Amino acid sequence: MTPRPLTPARYVASLVAWVALWLPVAAVAVVVGGRLWTWGSRAQMADVLWLRLEWVATASAVGASLALAGLAMQALLRNPLAEPYILGVSGGAGLAYVLGSLFLSVAAAPLLAMAGAMATVVLVYAIARRRGRLQPYTLLLAGVILNAFYAAGIMLVTAVVRPEQRGEIAVWMMGNIGAFGPQWPLIGVVAALAAGAGVLFAFLAKGFNLVAVGEDTAGALGVRVHRLRAVTFVAASLLAGASVALAGPIGFVGLICPHVLRMLLGPDHRRLVPAALFFGATFLVLADLAACFWEGATNRAVPVGVLTAMCGGPFFIYLLRTRWRKRMEVR
Amino acid sequence: MRPDDAQAKRGGSPHPPRNEGHERGGYGDPPRGNLAPEPATLEAEGLRFAYAPGEAVLAGLSMTAPAGRLTAVLGPNGSGKTTLLKVLVGLLAPSAGEVRLAGRPLASYRRADLARRLAYVPQETLAAVGFTVRETVLMGRSPHVGALGFESEADWRAAREALRLTETERFAERDLADLSGGERQRVLVARALAQEPDVVLLDEPTSFLDIRHQHGIYGLLRHLVGEEGKTVVTVSHDLSLAAAYADAVVLVARGEVAAAGTPLEVIRPEVLEPVYETPVEVRTDEATGRPLVLPRPPQR
Repeated sequence: MTPRPLTPARYVASLVAWVALWLPVAAVAVVVGGRLWTWGSRAQMADVLWLRLEWVATASAVGASLALAGLAMQALLRNPLAEPYILGVSGGAGLAYVLGSLFLSVAAAPLLAMAGAMATVVLVYAIARRRGRLQPYTLLLAGVILNAFYAAGIMLVTAVVRPEQRGEIAVWMMGNIGAFGPQWPLIGVVAALAAGAGVLFAFLAKGFNLVAVGEDTAGALGVRVHRLRAVTFVAASLLAGASVALAGPIGFVGLICPHVLRMLLGPDHRRLVPAALFFGATFLVLADLAACFWEGATNRAVPVGVLTAMCGGPFFIYLLRTRWRKRMEVR
Repeated sequence: MRPDDAQAKRGGSPHPPRNEGHERGGYGDPPRGNLAPEPATLEAEGLRFAYAPGEAVLAGLSMTAPAGRLTAVLGPNGSGKTTLLKVLVGLLAPSAGEVRLAGRPLASYRRADLARRLAYVPQETLAAVGFTVRETVLMGRSPHVGALGFESEADWRAAREALRLTETERFAERDLADLSGGERQRVLVARALAQEPDVVLLDEPTSFLDIRHQHGIYGLLRHLVGEEGKTVVTVSHDLSLAAAYADAVVLVARGEVAAAGTPLEVIRPEVLEPVYETPVEVRTDEATGRPLVLPRPPQR
């Protein structure tokens, strides 16, 4: 393939193509759905469609947020396996959200989730940085350890709360879309964050490319690496925290989506950022549709987070063993 | 008689690549190409830097890299060469002293403006990210392109020219990670050239290269100085190679300048031995008139 410069026209064309992938999938998901097959009066149908629209909007906003957060973390931490769920960021947001919703208020919980996510990113980063360099395996280990710690924290909370709250926490922890009733304001916040981050990261994509190659190289080419990193981490934490508040910790979307896109499009973040926004949205809408069909067929609810984790686990091992091994060992 | 005078008298007959630069440039006034940028002098004055309190890496170092010349920074391991280079590029801020580019303090430049004037070739960068050679070289254009990173035809032309100069065009579409160390090094030099800077700073650009490619890189640096009017600063461990190609030599020891001058002035046993703490013999290369350094085993 002859390489071609990325021109504004090509950029817009690819953006249109990604919207053209997501929009029909979302429309089909609203119309066909998987749950709620009871067709009744016109009013009932409108209710059903409205509910499905909410699920699709949730899945789109959360999928886009997680894919973008994963992409940005992989670039800035220079680690192909970085992702909000693996690094414990979702766990931190989860614990903060649970504590917030139990002891403060429903409105405060999402804010706390974002703060928990941000605190975790800072913590993981501080643990894995030695002599100005990030140690790739220490980074993953820090995530594993923090994940274990947060899981223990949530179990502790679960153990001490009233029995009826226990079930709710457990269901939420699995990663669910639309399990807790209408949340349009929060969906709006997450969607706005995803869209905002999409635009922000599009402007930072050039810097992502350079940092991925080397921090000194990026600095010498005019990137303010510390500022870029701070802005990106804050944005990625907000994305992950808000998504967790909306749908619980849904794992591996931030790992699978960016890597599938890298296989398709190559390593250039200028192309990857808009792709991650819409591919992440499409991916989670499809995953939730699959979960809905499963539920429709078996009458047993399957949380979408369980489904993504079951795909993501093997994918993680595949990445670790094959494709990205060389890259992990270079440093 | 200075070595390049001697060479000038031999005339401009066809010559091996390694002599190319001296005949064109040498110590005399650097010839300028038509499109050559304004040559810029890079000066450092009283630089101090420490990674940890009390462990000074640079201890009040002052040096000058004259405009349109090739300056080699030499010195033993741990003498502070790489740190010096990073301070000269502006990647590290000195705790005292300042660096001036074309008479203006480095700190007064905007980061992006600096990146258009100074290019840095690090010792080895992480390669296995999946970018092709062309994409890597195009990254050198990033200080010139807009925020969304769209490249113009002029950017692609500059990248093509850099690929041509470094003879890396034939693997332009290959993954950087699949290249040999020598090829990769040339690609990193190409990226610096695509930046179209006035000053190029290189950290041991020949450390992974065989002798042919070592001379290839230094021949290219001479070309940059002689034909393009650039200022080049290179850190090197190879004293003979540096002596053969450099216009000026800065010998660094314990974060200070132990000696500075022309290769003939600095590459002498009485200067080198106390710095490297090992006996050396210096001969003269009859072909070039430049010093050749032969390390000798320490006497017991």
